[in-house]
Amino acid sequence: MSPPPPGTLPNVAFLDDINAELGDKGFLVTSTEELFQWARTGSLWWMTFGLACCAVEMIHVNMPRYDMERFGAAPRASPRQSDVMIVAGTLCNKMAPALRRVYDQMSEPKYVISMGSCANGGGYYHYSYSVVRGCDRIVPVDIYVPGCPPTAEALLYGVMQLQRKIRRIGTLER
Amino acid sequence: MRAPAPAYTSNEGVIEAAQAALGALLVESKDAVGEVSLTVARESLIEAMIALRDTPGLEYQQLSEIAGADYPSRPERFDVVYQLLSFTRNHRIRVRVTTDEEKPVPSVTGIWPVAGWLEREVYDMYGVLFEGNTDLRRILTDYGFVGHPLRKDFPQTGYVELRYSEESKRVVYEPVKLAQDFRNFDFLSPWEGAAYVLPGDEKAAAPPPPPAPTPAPAPAPAPAPVASQPEAKGAPTPLTADAIVKADAPAAKATKARVRKPKTTDSTAESGAGKPGPEAGPAPADPDVVKKPRKPRVKKTPEGEA
Amino acid sequence: MADYLDEIEGRTDAGKPEVGDVAIANYTINFGPQHPAAHGVLRLVTELDGEIIERIDPHVGLLHRGTEKLIEYKTYTQALPYFDRFDYCSPLGMEHSFVLAVEKLLDLEVPLRGQYLRVFFAELTRICNHMLNLGSHVMDVGAMTPNLWMFELREDCLNFFERASGARMHSNYFRVGGVRQDVPLKLLTDIADWLDTRLPRLFGDAISLVAENRIFKQRNVDIAVVSRDDAIKWGFSGPMIRAAGIPWDLRRQQPYDVYDRMEFDIPVGTRGDCYDRFMVRVEEVYQSARIMKQCLAEMPEGPVLTLDRKVAPPKRGEMKQSMEALIHHFKLFTEGYHVPAGEVYVATESPKGEFGVYLVSDGTNKPYRCKVRPTAFSHLQAMDFMSKGHMLADITAILGAMDIVFGECDR
Repeated sequence: MSPPPPGTLPNVAFLDDINAELGDKGFLVTSTEELFQWARTGSLWWMTFGLACCAVEMIHVNMPRYDMERFGAAPRASPRQSDVMIVAGTLCNKMAPALRRVYDQMSEPKYVISMGSCANGGGYYHYSYSVVRGCDRIVPVDIYVPGCPPTAEALLYGVMQLQRKIRRIGTLER
Repeated sequence: MRAPAPAYTSNEGVIEAAQAALGALLVESKDAVGEVSLTVARESLIEAMIALRDTPGLEYQQLSEIAGADYPSRPERFDVVYQLLSFTRNHRIRVRVTTDEEKPVPSVTGIWPVAGWLEREVYDMYGVLFEGNTDLRRILTDYGFVGHPLRKDFPQTGYVELRYSEESKRVVYEPVKLAQDFRNFDFLSPWEGAAYVLPGDEKAAAPPPPPAPTPAPAPAPAPAPVASQPEAKGAPTPLTADAIVKADAPAAKATKARVRKPKTTDSTAESGAGKPGPEAGPAPADPDVVKKPRKPRVKKTPEGEA
Repeated sequence: MADYLDEIEGRTDAGKPEVGDVAIANYTINFGPQHPAAHGVLRLVTELDGEIIERIDPHVGLLHRGTEKLIEYKTYTQALPYFDRFDYCSPLGMEHSFVLAVEKLLDLEVPLRGQYLRVFFAELTRICNHMLNLGSHVMDVGAMTPNLWMFELREDCLNFFERASGARMHSNYFRVGGVRQDVPLKLLTDIADWLDTRLPRLFGDAISLVAENRIFKQRNVDIAVVSRDDAIKWGFSGPMIRAAGIPWDLRRQQPYDVYDRMEFDIPVGTRGDCYDRFMVRVEEVYQSARIMKQCLAEMPEGPVLTLDRKVAPPKRGEMKQSMEALIHHFKLFTEGYHVPAGEVYVATESPKGEFGVYLVSDGTNKPYRCKVRPTAFSHLQAMDFMSKGHMLADITAILGAMDIVFGECDR
């Protein structure tokens, strides 16, 4: 076993500091903003919006080998409980109103990951009469994951990018 | 046959048996590429299908597929193609009827209930009507869709596209605006019997008609715009004075005539797509006999577009 | 409250409505189009009497991508990847129909190793598809664990596809005239090991959790029974018709490629219910593994793609040496090849049933018409009569046992 690359292990000194502070005072002081960010990035429950091929890869990300839940991202079937919608697959004209309705039902703050070239911009079906050329015509998109379909790793990376983005934006009002 | 395609019972005697069973209902029968196809009269489709299902020696129990096809140059432009399968004889057969936008095809839902959706799909895609199908709604296209998308004169990108409107807070339809047009190249070389005249070529060939273009079919009397046989590949493009005049005539008004009304009445008026698209150019002829007419290069319209 | 008191004090009996009681009207609920058990984007308008299904009107087309129209604008080579995306759970099964149809029109011979590789990977696709379907069927009726194990197997399959073709899901591996490229020997030995060790162990374990499970049987046995006559009339195919008791398998009845050399059994059901459909698929996985082992044992050496340079491109190395090869390559990847005029209907046994391609060529380099015969279309149409009289909760079991994928249903 080679040692893991730097930055992947928890910072031991930082954790010891926190433990000492918590043991000493019994509470911690932080800004609400940091607290909220920590909560948001750590439990990105996502809405399964599987439309086509990409949905299969989206399932694969959740299955034991890639196990997206280690990033706190768990699948939810209901838009009311979810923070992020993964639009996985070709969005067709007949489906678009349903997509928008589901998006409207999600509670703030809400994020959208567009997965696969069809959702990004129509992709292989761009010139079709019945395909929406990109799901960003219907909902605002935060992260685009390219690929047809993106591999499971790519989607995982997309979720991590979304966490970075949330940390970077870091505002309470959105 | 050398190709490793699915092998079923031989076609031997099938046409004869079908002729005996159908009699006058059979319009045409042929055995091509290892598959038997029968054409039956549209009005008598039901009797023909029942005969094909129940006659011993034919026994086509299952309807596996109904496909539509559009040949706009024919008077009855649509084909409705039924694929039948016999479990007991392990054989497939194809039955076709022709129709147009108005004449309804008798529905076979009474024989095979599976035909319900299959007919709905043909109706949705081509606008073929089925008499006796009690549930002839659109099936695949959007609620409220206008037009029949698989017709050859329907543009590939359609007439409308969707977008969420922040003002009206709902998803709205708009005319199609493409950032980049579909790149459709004409890869068929003019040396292989292309159906149009290249810009500039008309001057070279104008004075004498080509001395002896052996297979050259006379373009004038032919009803279809292109009458060159597929075998005519390599032969010089048949250029006659007639053809050139014809080719020039529409070319002259081509700039104005670009916006041609599609043949259907159900198009969404003048949408942003506006132009009927490259596919609305020449009317494709029967694929069994002629090559597909190609799209004109830049502004040329095909010959024989009279 | 008064009603309730009446009821418990025996003055009325809700089980025996009398004149004057409130009439109960059927009510309609909408299932989907976004529903985790819908296996995609299906909308069911369901009319219920209490919890009993009176009528179901499936609305499909929510994934209608206009593929058939797009194919008419693409050359034959460019159209092939669309077939991966029809049934995205079993991509190579779809490609198989298309390449066979084009080969039939071209009357093209395929090298034997190419045929073996196609059968080999088509069967791997079948295993891959059944892993997804069995797993999600089990999950729809309430068991979680088998799904996790079967997806682990599916990951293995996807890795094999990636090693053969470069893509995990949409392999685009079959070509008219054979397959894209030969596979390394190590891949074949790895798959052989996998077939001998991992597949039977994990799959056997996963199935042993549900096959004899009381709850699983209660959810599936005698649900949506379909008789033989109905199965034929409603255009069933694949595991659906075999579960109804008809031993009809196109691999056996109408063999293509080298299926006529393979020895395998066709499982059939006895009752025609959801449980039979499930068990037919379970047995098919074992039979597919058997076919794959035979392929491995018999596969000859030789070219994998036809040497007809008018259809298949030359090797890269050859192109650097020969002008002729370079021209062929250029022509094939710009113009493509011309297919003689004619029409064929070629159907193969895809994992879900009979997947047919009705191809009309007009002699040019693009299909004039390419109609796909999806498996799910006829099965889903039968949803109405299959679920009549069952409970609302049975919808998921019926849907799961049908094995529906909307990429091919809606096209």
